[in-house]
Amino acid sequence: MGAFLRRNRRLVPYLLLAPGLLWLLVFYVYPGFQMLITSFWSGSLEKGFTFSLDNWTNYTAALSRFQGYYVRSIGYSAAATILTFLIAYPLAYAIAFKGGRAKNLLLFLVVAPFFTSFLLRTISWKIILGDSGIVFGPLKDLGFLSEDFRVLATPVAVVSGLTYDFLPFMTLPIYVALEKVDKRLVEAAQDLYAGPWRRGGTIAGIVLGGGLGLLLGQIFGYWPPFLAVGGALAGAIIGALFISESFVRVTFPLSLPGVFAGSLLTFIPSMGDYINAEFLGNPDTRMIGNVIQNRFLTQTDYPTAAALSFILMAGMLAAVAVYARALGTEELTTGRV
Amino acid sequence: MAEREQGVLGTPVTRRRMLQGSTLAGIAAFLAACGTSATSPSAEPTAAPTPASSAPPASTAPSPTQEPTPAQTPSAELNWANWTYYIDVDENDPNKHPTLDRFKEKHGTTVKYQEVVDDNDSFFGTIKDALRGGQDTGWDIVTLTDWMAIRLVRLGWLERFDKANMPNFTANLKDRFRSRSWDPGNDYAAPWQSGMTGLGYDEAVTGPLTSVKALFADDPRWRGKVEYLTEMRDTIGLTMISLGLDPAKPDRAGCDAAIGVLKAAQDAGIVRDVKGNSYAEDLKSGDAVLAMAWSGDMMQAVIEKEGLRFAIPDEGGIIWTDNCLIPKGAAHKFTAELAIDFYYDPENAADVELYVYYLSPVKGADEVMLQKVPEIKDDPIAFPPSEVQARLVDFGALSEDDEKYFNDQFASVLGVG
Repeated sequence: MGAFLRRNRRLVPYLLLAPGLLWLLVFYVYPGFQMLITSFWSGSLEKGFTFSLDNWTNYTAALSRFQGYYVRSIGYSAAATILTFLIAYPLAYAIAFKGGRAKNLLLFLVVAPFFTSFLLRTISWKIILGDSGIVFGPLKDLGFLSEDFRVLATPVAVVSGLTYDFLPFMTLPIYVALEKVDKRLVEAAQDLYAGPWRRGGTIAGIVLGGGLGLLLGQIFGYWPPFLAVGGALAGAIIGALFISESFVRVTFPLSLPGVFAGSLLTFIPSMGDYINAEFLGNPDTRMIGNVIQNRFLTQTDYPTAAALSFILMAGMLAAVAVYARALGTEELTTGRV
Repeated sequence: MAEREQGVLGTPVTRRRMLQGSTLAGIAAFLAACGTSATSPSAEPTAAPTPASSAPPASTAPSPTQEPTPAQTPSAELNWANWTYYIDVDENDPNKHPTLDRFKEKHGTTVKYQEVVDDNDSFFGTIKDALRGGQDTGWDIVTLTDWMAIRLVRLGWLERFDKANMPNFTANLKDRFRSRSWDPGNDYAAPWQSGMTGLGYDEAVTGPLTSVKALFADDPRWRGKVEYLTEMRDTIGLTMISLGLDPAKPDRAGCDAAIGVLKAAQDAGIVRDVKGNSYAEDLKSGDAVLAMAWSGDMMQAVIEKEGLRFAIPDEGGIIWTDNCLIPKGAAHKFTAELAIDFYYDPENAADVELYVYYLSPVKGADEVMLQKVPEIKDDPIAFPPSEVQARLVDFGALSEDDEKYFNDQFASVLGVG
């Protein structure tokens, strides 16, 4: 065996890859192929399904009937990704640069929720956000909120649930990327007169904050101008006071690989999520994952469910390709500025 | 870099050893995964995708009379899939079930009782591939609702009962179950429990309610705090009752009318959500004050929160039944029949009933219950008076096409269509 391998050195990498490829083949490619076949079926469970290439109409029918759900899912997932980013980036930055000896403990605290099941975490949010629960009960008793106010069974609750569920997925890659940043580069930037970003920061903050507020208002269905103004104000303050040029020119670009990985790890799973929409939402907040679940389980409409899944996969592949292009793959894979 | 890497045994780790070791480990893992318990057939992964049509539906004509089975012995174990809170529980140990222990004493069989049925559709999803491939699902008894049992009967995926093994069942099954259109000979489904769907509400907020129309009324006391059920037959059934239609004869016109009422209520902001069992939590926490509710859940909820009530509306309510079924290819069919028959003994049925508080399909169980716990005579949930029972309607059997239509229309109420 040893002699065989010595003579065929080129085979070794493939042999090493073999177990992983086999796993992918059995658990990803084969079921994917099965689903592709299923999406070209017509018929029903009791009468039997028949395969036919003419059934490409399954795709067009599914898309035209359910396109609203794709749009809504993209909206919720985008909102969740952006919110997760806004929370995770400062968190990862603080752990990486100011963590000191508490780093391990802080990282453990970030990951700790994973020790409980995904479902339980979502249900616990249902209890926390209850209309008269521990958060809103006292506020209502004190008169700060009207009796009719509620967060549960609204899109806000769904996006909050998504944000919470995927926070560690965003925090850890960004942390890893920031950890690798060479502090001497930051020092060098400061030596070269990089200071607080004042004017640039204020302008960028207003634009980004305002835009974000507008987007979130649109997604949540609240009055966009209110959120836009609030977002612009918050953005301006953060941009003016907390951002430095060395951050913008050195640290942030170097952390882009982490941002890329984290946002993929957040956006893609949340697109297919159905737990948060089911437990924390109402019939008007259902996502494409719920539709696929209903089609597959309740209606035993396997062809449509498979077609919807493939459209989702294809859409996300395309989106990821565009995203990778936009950020520049050179920088992502090598981490060079 | 001059040291050679030391392996666990102190010998150098060479590439050859590494590959040998991992090959052996891989083969071992593969065999372990493929091997299953001795009683079920080999667990070959389902065949490669066949582009051709799946197996044609089995005919539902009764099979020729079986020859008398040779004397059989109960097996060492039995696999039973059931819903939660559906059997008696030992007060001190929630994992022990006294009636199952008695069954073990009588026949020597350990029943592996698993509360894995959460929802008819998702459980069906776990067994359909095995049944379609003609293989053992791993379950000997599954407990599923009427309409799912109807589907399994139509697909021919159930074992036929050998009544010679089930004397109690033959003698004690209540009359209302003896001539069901989809199982006229009671050969495939043995009712386990029946339950009622009616109104669950918080009397302190809504006041006493007796009409099903409350669910669709825009009343400030419960606007935005009403919940419907994801169970299509219960929701559409109650809605049809409110329109004066008969759920025992469901047709597409009735479906359209019901869907119209439901959507109107949703658009008017009356409805908070459409969900399954979790409506009970919302009633208890106050997030909802009125819901379409199941009698067994409310029995528990009424104890846990002051003010909660369950009522069958004046216009009528829905009665549904969960059935014990033996999937085709079950490894321990004989023992499964013994187990089903065991629970048709009024003593055992009463013991279960005193925990789950649904409606028993066993003649004589009610009398035994009253003997053991006389006070429940007046409990309207455990013992609905006869005029209430007369108002309960069974949702009629739907053809496959109608079922698709109903589910498709109902998807818009659920928010996924």
